[in-house]
Amino acid sequence: MPSMASGPAGATTEEREVISVSGLSHAYASSGRTLLVLSEVQLQVRAGSYVALTGDSGEGKSTLLALLGGLQRAQGGELVVAGQDLRRLPSQQMARFRSRTIGFVFQHHCLVESLTALENAALAALINGVSRPEAVARARALLAQVGLLERAGHLPGRLSGGERQRVAVARAMVNRPALILADEPTGNLDERNAQRVMDLIEQLRHEYGATLLVVTHDSSLASRAATTLRLKEGRLEAA
Amino acid sequence: MSWGATFRLALSSLLRRPARSGLTVLGVAVGSALLVALGSIASVAESRAVEHFGKGLPVGAIKVADDAPASWQLQTDDFQLAGHKDLNQDAIRQIRRLPNVRAVVPIQAAPVLVVPPSGDSFGATMAGTDLGLGADSPVSVLAGRLPAAASLTEVAVTQSYLDHTHPGRPPGAAVGEAIQVAEPRVEAPGSEVPFRPRWFRAKVVGVVSQDVAGADLLVPLQQTTAAREWELSGAAAPPGLRGEGSIRSPYSALIVIADSIDTMHGVRVGIDQIGFATSAPEHVLAAVLRYLHVVDIVLVGIGAIAVLLAGLNIANALLTAVRERRREIGVLKAIGARDRDVVRWFLLEATLLGFLGGVAGTLAGLLLAQALALKVSEYLTQQGIPIEALRLQDLPYAVVLLGVGGSWLLALLAAAVPALRAAKMPASEAMAEL
Ligand SMILES: Nc1ncnc2c1ncn2[C@@H]1O[C@H](COP(=O)(O)OP(=O)(O)OP(=O)(O)O)[C@@H](O)[C@H]1O
Ligand SMILES: [Mg+2]
Repeated sequence: MPSMASGPAGATTEEREVISVSGLSHAYASSGRTLLVLSEVQLQVRAGSYVALTGDSGEGKSTLLALLGGLQRAQGGELVVAGQDLRRLPSQQMARFRSRTIGFVFQHHCLVESLTALENAALAALINGVSRPEAVARARALLAQVGLLERAGHLPGRLSGGERQRVAVARAMVNRPALILADEPTGNLDERNAQRVMDLIEQLRHEYGATLLVVTHDSSLASRAATTLRLKEGRLEAA
Repeated sequence: MSWGATFRLALSSLLRRPARSGLTVLGVAVGSALLVALGSIASVAESRAVEHFGKGLPVGAIKVADDAPASWQLQTDDFQLAGHKDLNQDAIRQIRRLPNVRAVVPIQAAPVLVVPPSGDSFGATMAGTDLGLGADSPVSVLAGRLPAAASLTEVAVTQSYLDHTHPGRPPGAAVGEAIQVAEPRVEAPGSEVPFRPRWFRAKVVGVVSQDVAGADLLVPLQQTTAAREWELSGAAAPPGLRGEGSIRSPYSALIVIADSIDTMHGVRVGIDQIGFATSAPEHVLAAVLRYLHVVDIVLVGIGAIAVLLAGLNIANALLTAVRERRREIGVLKAIGARDRDVVRWFLLEATLLGFLGGVAGTLAGLLLAQALALKVSEYLTQQGIPIEALRLQDLPYAVVLLGVGGSWLLALLAAAVPALRAAKMPASEAMAEL
């Protein structure tokens, strides 16, 4: 049964929707068999909302997030994010879309190991074409906000898991994205650090007016969102 | 992504694995050092061979005798004489007009009696030539200097003089000696004495490397001209006294210098057609250069194989890096890097490896070549064959360029497959489980 998030989909609200998905299907071919992960998924998310996505392991949460963020190509259905039709976007523009519109936070440490915390955060802005001084200024400001300014010159290998994740949050925000996609951002952290990272994500989202879609197994984290959706047997339903 | 940002990424990625990067650079350095060392030794050997077979004469020098050539003259390097023929101003003029002739140096030989400081006189040949030729001069100085251009009191001596007066001593030993020289004139039959000498005193100012027309003494042309006038004022010489330098010919020999080794044969053909016997090391040189060319190919081949191995090593190191950085590549793409940014990242990394290795290797290769050449020249000098050590300015720039540019190019080639593989990595790798 198709599920609507953040109110009913209608012609009048369409422009305010940052995610508009209908009939989205996705299958993986593995060892000669096709594995249908998403089938006929419907999803409308209004700009500025906060949505949590839960579901059992292997249900396709990460797959959905990758499709929404332009990391993978959808195989069937309609997929419009921030006004861009991702099924028809050429790959060059897809890269630009990821850079300008999306802020990713992944579960596993996802920093470039050879660059310092500051360089990691600034890199996303540099890729987006921001000048070096401006990129560094933005990165410093964000590192200050996540409480890591004094660690700016450290390589990721010398930061704790929680600190690395806070750097990742700073990097996700450096281009002021319209949509933050977080895939179990606290999955590897203890409870205290998990709280702190989520607090930061929420605070920055609020500050920048971004939409937040967070995948989590943790029901207490899910309960912080205004809307919680559940992925089950390839379909979305209200939790 | 700007070049600057990509460069920092490439550099920091290399520094993150210092041992692997260092070993890869070392591999490139060893390869290019070998290539450069072997390449420079091969090319210097070639120019040394040309010098050696020129017997101290400049490259492209041809000796011309005052004789007509035999019909098979051009098939050999040595003189093939077919009867005396005067070498006069007219002949010189004709030879000067031949294409590719850089200089024509006339030589006059005269038989003399030399009295060195020891008093043990001996019969010798004195050669006069134009000593004001500078770079085109067919003689090279081993010690001291050449006599002043028109001096009648200065002489230079050759190895055969040293063999008579200072056997086994270094060339410098003869410089500064005062000698006496007698030019004999044959007196008319029935005179009190059969010969009358014309004496002059001279100072040995230098030692020259080769025997110009088989001479013991080298003097300005004015000296031999005076000697000839003295001789010609006498009666006809009895046969056997004067050896090859005939008194009848205004010049006893010429040294003709062609533009290059390649034009030497053509000039020799021209002189043959004018009608003089010639001698030049063209056949032996061609044979030696052919051998050296084979040696070149083998040496450069060995160097190239070493560089090739270094290239494979780069490819291997970068493929490992791509495998290691799957997630990082995915993350970069997730935050907006394009395929070409990723390609650039790996190509810049390869450039750093190749360029650093190439520069270090080329420097090491030059030092190695020089050290080897020094050892060889030390050994040869001990064996009584004085040969100059390798000079850096002799080195062909092509070899240096090949060392640095070749390593770099090779690194880029080696990086092609890893870079494309990295670029094809899907962005979703960023989300992959560990
Ligand atoms: N590249 C792939 N090739 C083949 N199968 C894949 C691929 N990626 C994911 N899958 C499969 O698709 C299904 C959904 O995977 P996905 O990672 O989206 O699940 P998930 O809900 O995020 O699970 P988890 O909670 O464990 O992270 C799984 O069965 C997984 O094995
Ligand atoms: Mg997942």
